[in-house]
Formats: sequence, structure tokens, C-alpha cells
Amino acid sequence: MNLIDSLAAVFLLLAILSVASGRVISLVRLFSLQSVVLGLIAAAVAAMTDAEHIYVVAALTIVLKGVVMPWGLRYVIDKIGVKKDVEPIVPLPASLLICAVLTVLSFYIVQPFVTGHEVLGTITKNCLPISLAVVFIGFFMMIARKKALTQVIGLLLMENGLFLAAYAVAYGMPLVVELGVFFDILVAALIMGVLAFRINRTFDSVDTTILRRLHD
Amino acid sequence: MIELLLLVPLVATFLCYPLRRRRAVEIVSLSGSLVTMAAVAYLAYRVYTGGTIDEGLLYVDILSAYVLLLIAFVGLMANLYSVSYLGRELEEGAISEVKLRNFHLFFQMFIFTMVLVAVSDNLGIMWIAIEGTTLASAYLVGFYDRATSVEAAWKYLIICSVGITLALLGTVLLYASSVSFLGEASDALSWSTLMDPQVLANLDVNLLRIAFIFVLVGYGTKVGLAPMHTWLPDAHSQAPTPVSALLSAVLLNCAMYGILRFHLILSGSAVGPGFSSGLLLLFGILSLATAAAFIVLSKDYKRMLAYSSIEHMGIIAVGFGIGGPLAIMGALFHMLNHALTKTLLFFGAGNVLQRYGTREIAGVKGLATVMPATAVLVAGGALAIVGCPPFATFLSEFMILAGAIDGGDLLAAAVYLGLLAVVFAAFLYHAGRTLFGNAGPEVEHGEVGRWRPVLMAVLLVAVMVLGLYMPEVLEEALERMASLFTGGSL
Repeated sequence: MNLIDSLAAVFLLLAILSVASGRVISLVRLFSLQSVVLGLIAAAVAAMTDAEHIYVVAALTIVLKGVVMPWGLRYVIDKIGVKKDVEPIVPLPASLLICAVLTVLSFYIVQPFVTGHEVLGTITKNCLPISLAVVFIGFFMMIARKKALTQVIGLLLMENGLFLAAYAVAYGMPLVVELGVFFDILVAALIMGVLAFRINRTFDSVDTTILRRLHD
Repeated sequence: MIELLLLVPLVATFLCYPLRRRRAVEIVSLSGSLVTMAAVAYLAYRVYTGGTIDEGLLYVDILSAYVLLLIAFVGLMANLYSVSYLGRELEEGAISEVKLRNFHLFFQMFIFTMVLVAVSDNLGIMWIAIEGTTLASAYLVGFYDRATSVEAAWKYLIICSVGITLALLGTVLLYASSVSFLGEASDALSWSTLMDPQVLANLDVNLLRIAFIFVLVGYGTKVGLAPMHTWLPDAHSQAPTPVSALLSAVLLNCAMYGILRFHLILSGSAVGPGFSSGLLLLFGILSLATAAAFIVLSKDYKRMLAYSSIEHMGIIAVGFGIGGPLAIMGALFHMLNHALTKTLLFFGAGNVLQRYGTREIAGVKGLATVMPATAVLVAGGALAIVGCPPFATFLSEFMILAGAIDGGDLLAAAVYLGLLAVVFAAFLYHAGRTLFGNAGPEVEHGEVGRWRPVLMAVLLVAVMVLGLYMPEVLEEALERMASLFTGGSL
């Protein structure tokens, strides 16, 4: 069991735990922890391949996604006074079951690339199915939870999965692209925070199921 | 050279920031759009005469020059219109001067991100730019502080961000398919490197296929392809009208441009053109069908125009999906025609909205007597959008149909024609309901804004002239672009 694979397993576990968690604040904590694990994976990749620019990305991941963004999310939660519970649309046990299905599905889709022919020669290639699973789980969380903030966290989980996918197939993307993606995610989270405030002000709630005025 | 073009809207964005007075903001913003237009025109001329310009991270070939021209032209038109449109809202006290400033600021930023989409050489940077368009325009969609606009902005941001995240996964997989051959060089995502035939031949086929599916679903969300289109009618109907025009006429084309880049890579690689074309055709027909159903049922005219945009993006996707020089030229030509016509119609919708104060089709009667100039132009626009001769939309839709029949895609041709007929009847029925009849006594007569009909007339005349006479420059440009897709053979 090598280091990267174990970290990736923890990464997946944290995603599943966040689907199982019933409180908004623990979702934020899990996301923060998951981002730190992602940063550690990046650092491990950097150490094993002697690619120094990956250290930059690892540090950025830990600082921005592990510390700054969770802090911002908490700030929004405190300011708006979000209630503690996540208010699932799909009940938690059923959600977990669906997560299991999604994980199996992602292994089914991409395992051929990992074990089959020699497409991917990376030391991180075992992370590919896990990253896809996390993308799916994040997506599922966006659909299956009512609160605006849980949707944001779901999106951030998807993006974490995506970064892992990038490490899995190619040790991350070119630095300039990676920095740009970071910038975009940061701005997106910021705008979503502002919008959550406005939803709260306009509707006196952050429950997104009330967003049902526009229809045909 | 290209970076100067990028600087123009960016500088305009920053210049707007310290300004407070209405006129000052408008002058800065308008000059920004004018200079952008001039710079794009010069750049397009250089590309047309001298061929592709490649400056490392920035790259303009004939296809990007074409998209750039659309962005700059519709941007300029929408900017001119917004001076009158938002000016009126300011006078009525619906918005404050600070909001007007913010509008122009984000407008220019939006233009900047779209220009960046068209000029990026690196597909990763193109992704960043496309996500940037969502972020820059989210404020514009939620511009009015109504409950419905906040809802539209939230849906827009969330749905498009999710879509685009999938597109990034596709981009990563494309990167993976090239890494084994190119190594981890930073130019591995570079369009000009990837299009080298030797590189194309060595891309991994299976990874490319999965990559394209993710990209099509991802960027397809922004194009408004069904079933990922759900944000589009909300955003288009809630945004201020000039922004609706910009979203519909240019943003959708920009996202389509993103898909086309990947389509070109797949067509040139060992996968061959069949795989990506088939998917484009499928999503195109699906969008056409969805849009046709909703156009029949429309109650809100801005939403109807939004569904019509989904329909036309479907038509364009069908054109590229069918393939063959004729259909591809038709699809490319249709991008231009749709942009011109839809801008015209949204301008008309803006006039109607400010005169009648309602977005309901049933609430608008007797447009022909209330606003005769707008009514004539909207009637022309409605005929153009459903593809009546002598308008250019007829020509491009017919080229796609002819291409389908030539290529032996008879089933696709039949479905395409049938759905177009449904839209034809439904759209004209709804337009007819607003044009004729008697307006209620509470509706004031006369045009809103003196110059607006002139702007609209320019657009209508353009669509009509292109329908009757294809300038040689355009024909040559379309042929050259089509040859990119057909691998140089025409």
C-alpha cells in the first residue's frame, strides 16, 4: 500500500462521510480536511517526481481550499444564521447507498485505463477512479440537498475530485492553467456567497427549493 | 497585437470603476466597444489576408476571427442599445447611477472574457475564460434586485458551474490522452501543438472519446443544448434586455466554439469525425425538439426568444453533426444569422417591455398601432428567425438541409424539417398575437427611444442583404472555415 493510494482512499472516505453527515458545519470541516488531503497528495507527487511547480499548487490547495474557503463558508453560515441540519431531499441512508453505487460505477468506467493497456504511466493512476467517484458524489450532493450552501460545497467537492483526476492522469495541469482554475474557483465561491446572502435577504431562507417562481 | 485587443475591454472595465456620472460611464463604455470593434476588424483583416496569427498563449485563426467579429459587433450594438434602455430606467428611477456604472463595468468584463475564449491557444485557458464568462455575467443576470432575478442568477451560476466542471474533466482527459506522446510540456494543451497531424495521430483514442463526452455535456450546458438548457430561459428572461441579446447571440456561440475546437481534434485524430458528429447531431435534434415544444406553449415573450435560441443552437449543432462542406458552411453561416436576428428581436422585446410593462404575450396587443416602427422591425425579425426567404436564415437553414440530403441523412433531414415547421407556425402565431388587435387605453402610444429603431433596422437590413447576396469575402471565409472541418478537402 503506497502513500498516494492510501491518501486517495482517505480522500474518497471524506467525500462519502460528507454525504453521510447531517450538519452543515461538519460538511465545511470535511471539505476543509479533504482539501488538505488533496494538498498532501500533490505534495507527495511533487516529492516523488521532483516537479517543483507542484509544490506551489499543493501549498495553494492547502491554504486556499483548506483554510481560506472553509473560513469564508463559516462566515456566511454565521452571518445568515443557517440552521444546523442539512435538510436532505434524499434521506441519508439512501444517499450512502447511492454513493456506493456511484463509486462502483466510476471504477467500472475507468478501470480499463488503469489496468489495461499502457495509456497512463503515472504513479498516481490508481487515483483516477476515485477522483471520478468524488466528482459524481459531489454532483449527487448538489442534487440531493436543499440548502444553497450544501450546493456550493457539493460543487467544491466536484472540483476537488477534478484536481485529483488531473494528478492521476498527468501530475496536474500546466501551472498557468492550474493557477487560472484556482482563481476561477475562488471567484465563483465568492459570488455564490454573495448570492446566498441575497437569497437569504429576499426569501428569508437559504432553502433552494423555494426557488420555484420561474417556470413554464 | 492580440494582447492589445484583450486590453481594450479590460481597460474599459477599470476606467468605469471610479466614475459616478451617467454620461462619463456611457462614454467610456461606448468607446471601449468601438475600439474593440475596430481592433477586431483589423485583426480579422490580418488573419483573412495573412493567415493564422500565433503568439504563444494567444492564437487567432479564421474561425476565432469569425467568432471575434460576432462578439465585437453584437457587443457594440448591445452597448448602444443599453445606453438608451438603461438610461430610461434611470430616468424612471428603477435603477440608481451606481447600478448603471456597475452594469457597464460588468458588461465590459463580460466582453473581455468572451474575447479571451476566442483568442486562447491553450484549451485550459479557454476553459478558464468560459468559466469567466459565467462569473462576469452572473451579476448582469441578477441585475435587478427582484426575487426572480436572484433565482435566475443562482440557477445560472450553479448549473453552468457544474456543467463547466465536467468540461474541465474533459479537458484533463484530453491532456492525459496527449501526455504519453508529448510529455508534460506546458504546451500539451495547446491547440496549435495538438493540431499537428503527427500529434493528432498519436492521441489515445479511448481517452479522447470520454473526454469529448464530458466536454460536450459541459460546454453544451452553456450552449443551451437540451437537456442541459434549464438555466437558459430563466437567465435570458430575467437579465436586462441588452444582456439577453448578448447572452443569446454571442455567449452561446462562444461556448459552441469551445465544443468545435474539441470536435476538430477528434475529427483529425484516429477516432475520426463520426463519433463527435453523431453526438452533436443527437443533442442538436434533442434541443430542436425541446425548444419546439416550449415555443408552442410560451406565455412570456422573452422566454420564447430564449427557447428560440435553444432551437437555433440545436440547428447549428445539427449542421456540424451532419458534416460535409455544405452543412458545415450552413452551420457557420447560421451562427452569424442567428446572432443578428436574435439581437434584433431582443431589442424589439426591450422596446415592448418598456412600453407595456409586461413580459406576458397575452398582455401585449396592437403593437402595430402603438409602436409602428418597432412593429414592422419585429415582424421582419420574426419572419427572419423562423427562416423565411429572403432572409439569410433561410439560406443557412436550407444549406444544412441540403447537406443532410446530400449526405444521405434522410431521417435527420425529415425530423429537422418537421421541427422547423412546428417552430415556424408557433412562433409566427405568438408574434401575430402581439402585433395585431387593440391595445388597452392605458398603453401610451409612440416609440420608446428615438434611435432604437435605427439600430434594429441596421440589423434587419443586414440579415436581408446577406440573404439576397453573399459577399465574396464572407463566402471565401466560410469556405476556409469549413475546410478546417473537412480536413482541407472541399
